[in-house]
Amino acid sequence: MDEAVLTPTAEKSKAPKPREGWFFNPYVQLLLSIILSAAAQIFMKLGSSGISEMWLGFEGLRSGWMWLGFAAMVGSLFFWLYGLKYVPLNIAYNLAGLVQVLVPVASWLFLGEKIGLLRGSGILLVCAGVFVVARPLMRMEESL
Amino acid sequence: MTPLGFLLVVLSESASAAGQIFFKRAMAHEQSRMALILTLGIIAKAAGVFLWVGVMSRVQLSYLYPFDAFSGVMLMFAASIFLKEKMTPSLWVGVALICTGVLLVSRS
Repeated sequence: MDEAVLTPTAEKSKAPKPREGWFFNPYVQLLLSIILSAAAQIFMKLGSSGISEMWLGFEGLRSGWMWLGFAAMVGSLFFWLYGLKYVPLNIAYNLAGLVQVLVPVASWLFLGEKIGLLRGSGILLVCAGVFVVARPLMRMEESL
Repeated sequence: MTPLGFLLVVLSESASAAGQIFFKRAMAHEQSRMALILTLGIIAKAAGVFLWVGVMSRVQLSYLYPFDAFSGVMLMFAASIFLKEKMTPSLWVGVALICTGVLLVSRS
């Protein structure tokens, strides 16, 4: 999905406000960051399948999926930093909580994982908790 | 998840959090120290990722990922102990929600 949106980048000017076009909308950028962050988890999960020892997953480096996962992580960070320049931090942090929903949904769609009632309700509680603490947590992270 | 798996998740989250703090601190230092602290940050972050990947190979992703929210809980407790940040009622509600949710997921 990312190749398709990454191609049309012919921009040259460094404007202080977001560039024209939907792709440079900071909210779109944050959303892309969140999607990439979930994708990174899926890729890394795929890359981790052959690991024999559990302590450190260095064996996973033999898989191309793992490297794709790292690339997605880095990409996600760049989109995030771009989006943060224009979007208030507390809104951004609340958006970040969406990853908690996105990852299980993607696990179900792409990895064929079955999510039962128990796990599903647990995930929803975690999401609710993440949204409740998003703002104070952001303030704490700022003060570290 | 086995107790070992849980320990590895906690180690992973702690390493990532440490890396985050190193990155932040690096920006506040002059050039010569900055490189060192940035390196420490990268090592800590990498350790966090590889510990996570190791656990990933053992359990389903939809099972493991909610444990990631634990890092926020640990960060809050760390901040309240070391930085004397107040634990507000809404923070406790959030902590309770996350812990209950993770508990449910861990039983699934």
